[in-house]
Amino acid sequence: MEKFLNLVLDPLRELFVKFKAFVPNLLAMLIILLLGFILARVVRLVLLKFLGAINFDSWSDRMGFTKLMRKGDVWNKPSSVVANLIFWLMVIITLLTGLYALQIPAMNQLVASVIGYIPQLFSAVMILGIGYVFSEFVSRTVLIAAANSGFHYAKLLAKAVNTLLIVLILAMVLEQLHIAPTVVLAAFSIVFGGIVIALAIAFGVGGIPAARRMIEREARSADEESQHDKIDPI
Amino acid sequence: MGTVALRSDVHEQIERIGSADIVVGIPSFNNARTIGHVVRAAQAGLAKYFPEHKAVIVNSDGGSTDGTMDVTRNTSLGDLDAILLHHRITSASKIVFPYSGIPGKGSAFRSIFEIASALGAKACAVVDSDLRSITPEWLELLLKPVLTERFDYVSPLYHRHKFDGTITNSIVYPLTRALYGKRIRQPIGGDFGFSGKVAEFYLSQDVWESDVARFGVDIWMTTTAIANGFKVAQSFLGAKIHDPKDPGADLSNMLYQVVSATFGLMETYADIWAPVKGSEAVPSFGFEYTVGLEPLNVDTSRMLKVFREGVRNLGEIWLDVLGPGDFGEIERLGTLDDAEFHFPASLWMRTIYDYALAYHKRTLPIEHLIKSMTPLYVGKTASFILSARDMGQDEAEAEIENLCIEFENGKDYLAAHWT
Repeated sequence: MEKFLNLVLDPLRELFVKFKAFVPNLLAMLIILLLGFILARVVRLVLLKFLGAINFDSWSDRMGFTKLMRKGDVWNKPSSVVANLIFWLMVIITLLTGLYALQIPAMNQLVASVIGYIPQLFSAVMILGIGYVFSEFVSRTVLIAAANSGFHYAKLLAKAVNTLLIVLILAMVLEQLHIAPTVVLAAFSIVFGGIVIALAIAFGVGGIPAARRMIEREARSADEESQHDKIDPI
Repeated sequence: MGTVALRSDVHEQIERIGSADIVVGIPSFNNARTIGHVVRAAQAGLAKYFPEHKAVIVNSDGGSTDGTMDVTRNTSLGDLDAILLHHRITSASKIVFPYSGIPGKGSAFRSIFEIASALGAKACAVVDSDLRSITPEWLELLLKPVLTERFDYVSPLYHRHKFDGTITNSIVYPLTRALYGKRIRQPIGGDFGFSGKVAEFYLSQDVWESDVARFGVDIWMTTTAIANGFKVAQSFLGAKIHDPKDPGADLSNMLYQVVSATFGLMETYADIWAPVKGSEAVPSFGFEYTVGLEPLNVDTSRMLKVFREGVRNLGEIWLDVLGPGDFGEIERLGTLDDAEFHFPASLWMRTIYDYALAYHKRTLPIEHLIKSMTPLYVGKTASFILSARDMGQDEAEAEIENLCIEFENGKDYLAAHWT
C-alpha cells in the first residue's frame, strides 16, 4: 500500500519541489513585467514632452515623415507614433526579459535569439529612416534644380531618382535583416542592372532620334539665348 | 565679439599709419581687369574732396589668382593735373591683403571694419571692385553725408536700366520698405558709406561665423543700420555699370542668397518691424540726372517657359506654401498665352509674404524652399518686362512704387500670421 502511495505521491512531491523552485522565477517575471510596463509608460510620457519641446512634429513635416505616415493611413502625430513605438519596443523587451527570468531552457534559447536580432532590427530601422529622409531630400533637390532650368520632365526625373534610391535602401534593409540575402542581392542586381540597361538601350538605341531632338533643341535654345541680353538681377 | 585674425604685416601697416579719418574698403576676388579703375577713382575722390583728411584705401582680397592685389598696389593716379585742378594733393595710404576666415564678401568687410576701427576712422565707404562707372564723385557722395551731415549710413541710389536689378525691385526693396518703413531704394547696392560708430557696431554683432560672412552682407548692413535706429540717408551716384556677372552664376543661387538673408533678418528684427506702418522717405543727396542706358532685348518666352514648367513640376510645394486660393491663381497664370500674361502685384505680395511665413515656420529645408521660388520670380520678372517694355524710366519706376504700396498695404497679413 505504502509503495502504491509513494508511486502516487512522489510525482506530486517532485512537482511541488519543482513548483517551489519555479515560484521565485515566476515572481521575478511578474515584477519585471510590472516594472518594465511602468518604465515604458514613463518613458513614453517623457518622450512625448521632449519631442514636443524640440518641435519634432514640424521637423517631421519638413522631412516628409508626416506625408509618408499619411500615405500609410497613420493619422497620429509623428511624436505620438515615435513615443508609441518606443513604448511597445520596451514592452517587448520587458516580456522577453520576463520570459528569460522563468529559466526555461527552450524559452531561453528563443529569447536569446530574439534579443540577438534586436541590433540588426535597430540598424535596419535606422537605415530605413535615414534612407527615406535622404531619398526625399535628393529627389526634391533634383526636382527643384530641373524645374528651375525649365526641364519639362523634372517631376519624372525626380521620381526616378527617388525610386532608385528607395530600391537601394530596401535592399540594404533586407540585407541587414538577413532575409534571404542571396536572393535579395540577386534581385537587387537584376532590378538595378535592368534599369540601367533599359535606360542605356532607350537612350543608346531606341532613343537616338529623341536624343538628337533634345540636343538640337538645347543647342537652338542656347543659340536663341545668346541673341538676347541678360539682365542683372541684383 | 573676438577680432578677426589680421596678418602681422597688416598690423605693421596699421601701426605705421597710426590713425585715419577715412577708410575706403574694396573687397575683391579676381577683379584685376576693373580694380585699377576703382582704386584710381577712390584716390582721386579722396584727393579732390577730402584733401584735409587722412585717408586709407583697404583692399580686402579673397585669394585672387589673376593679380588683383598687384594691380591695387601698383595703381596710382598718374597725371594728376588732368584730374585735379586746384586741390591740394594728399595721397591716400593703401593696405592690400588677403583676408582670412570664411570665404565671402562678409569676411572681406569684417576685415575692413576691423582696420577702420583700429585706425579710429570717422567715416568709411565700401565700393565694389567690378565697377566700371565709379567716379571720384562717388566718394564725396558716400562720405560727405557722414562727415559733415552726421549721418550714420549712406545707401546708394543709381540710375539703372528698368529691367536690371529685378531681385531688388520685386523683392528686396518692397519688402525692406514695408517692413522697416524706410524708402531705401537700393538696399543691396553694394556701395555704401557709414560712420566709424556703425563700423564698430557691425563688428560687435555675433554674425561673422554665420552665413553673413559668406553672402548677404549688403542687406545685413542696411537692415542692421535701419533696425538699430542709425541715421540713414541715400546718395545719387549716377549709372551703375559693372563687369558682367559670372555667366555660370546660377539665378536660383543668387535668389537663395539674397532672399534667405532678408528672411533671416526678419526673424532677428521681428519686434522692430511688426508695429511699423507705412513708410517714409529718407534724406537724399546728390544731383539726379538722366542717364542714357542701352536698350536690352530680353527673351521673355524662355522666362515664361520656366514659369510654366514650375507650375507643372513644383505645384505640390507651391500648394503647401501658398495655400489653395493663391496656388489656383498661379495655376491659372500658367495657362495664359505670352501676350496676355500678367502677374498681379497683389498676388506677388502674398507670394512673398507666404514664403516669408514658410521660412519662419520652417516648412521645408530653407534652400529647397527659397529655390522653389525661382520660377515664380522668373514669371513675375517676365510679367514686369512685358508690361514695362514700352514704358519710360519714370513709368517703370511708378510700377515699382505701386508694388511697394501693395506690400505696405498687405503687411497686416504677414504680421497676423507671424506667430
